[in-house]
Amino acid sequence: MSHVVCALALLIFTVLQMTVFSRINLIAGSPDLVLLFIAAWSLQEHVKNAWLWTGVFGLIISVISAMPFYAPLIGYLGVVLISKLLQRRVWRVPILAMFIVTLLGTFFQQAVYIIVLQVSGSPISWLESLDSVVVPSVLLNLIFALPIFAVASELVSRIYPLEVEA
Amino acid sequence: MKFFNRKNIQTIVLLLVISGLLFLAMSGYLTPIFNLTLNPLISMQRWLSVRYLSARDLLTTPSDVVQLRQQNALLESQVTQLQTQLIELEERLGEAQVCFALLDFGRTNPQYDYIAATVIGREISPFLQYIMIDKGTEDGVRYGMPVVTQQGLVGRVDAVIAGAARVKLISDSTSVVNVRLKSAEIEVQLQGSLTGDIFLDMIPLDETVELGDVVLTSGLGGNYPPNIFVGQVLSTQRRDNAIFQTASVQPIVDFTAINAVLVISNFQSVDVSPLIPEK
Repeated sequence: MSHVVCALALLIFTVLQMTVFSRINLIAGSPDLVLLFIAAWSLQEHVKNAWLWTGVFGLIISVISAMPFYAPLIGYLGVVLISKLLQRRVWRVPILAMFIVTLLGTFFQQAVYIIVLQVSGSPISWLESLDSVVVPSVLLNLIFALPIFAVASELVSRIYPLEVEA
Repeated sequence: MKFFNRKNIQTIVLLLVISGLLFLAMSGYLTPIFNLTLNPLISMQRWLSVRYLSARDLLTTPSDVVQLRQQNALLESQVTQLQTQLIELEERLGEAQVCFALLDFGRTNPQYDYIAATVIGREISPFLQYIMIDKGTEDGVRYGMPVVTQQGLVGRVDAVIAGAARVKLISDSTSVVNVRLKSAEIEVQLQGSLTGDIFLDMIPLDETVELGDVVLTSGLGGNYPPNIFVGQVLSTQRRDNAIFQTASVQPIVDFTAINAVLVISNFQSVDVSPLIPEK
């Protein structure tokens, strides 16, 4: 059940990201719902399949995106890694963990994108990227982090009701 | 003398009286008498009628309220349906206007064959400026085909699958388009940027670029057909000790609000990369 829900949720968020949320721009930055859901899903205590579905959807998004093939995959796997590292350290305050993962995860993902694009010959600079894309994207992701975390928590509480009640 | 018997005389007198009364009534001489007799009757009838109607309303009002509420609910549902239809029709009107505009562009540029496509998505990464369209190889879309709207140049097909294609916008930071300035008659390069702004690069310092000058594709490089409208010069920048000047361009196409595009299907882009000497 957990696999189905995670895959469906990621599919819905990917479609929403491509059709709607990519058009929400703050300077040149935009929110990343897929990243937020992966972060929120990975932070849930009972979830064990975060690596698997992040890998699958990282590959799918790599195919769809114009970014070099491995960049989105590395970015999303990095978010799961940050989530898992933080999960046990700030487990008592999951909302705080979500905000920290969103902040660090977005910075990590955008840094991967900048490095990959620079290596592939795009004329983009770190300073301009930080001003125009990274900071606005972090802000937008922080705004959307709370509702996405609520959705992920609700889904997990419905999948694992007995464990949550116990 | 049978005719003047008693019975006939009574009949004749009666007829004469009736005729006389009719004559007087028709002449209006009897109106005061009628008023005197009929007015109390009418007043009484009116009084009775008003009381009857009031009593009937009192007895039948509850059923009327229920009926009115039902009618109100029915009318509200009809209003909702009509509003939904109105929204749908407005959406269709918007789509039709876009189609008509694209058709106009096709008519004004009949030398090209077009494939109309709808924009179905945008690039996930904010660093890149790409759009996804709903036409692919099955519809005749091929790699490198130029993409335009009724307003001007959008970009070119960067990747294509059976039912969809990815278009690199001219505002992407890696995009370079060879253009010419209409009034200045110079050929320069148009580049995109991280923020989606486009600017002219490599303009010789001795050239005077006027604000508002029209930017058109030059056709050099073989990637885009010539004379497609790109935008207008917004401002120029000269730096000290620089070899060239640059100019910001206001694109004619609003890249954030593209809903439909035309893919030019009969333009063969030329790959000149083998002719460029290796460094």
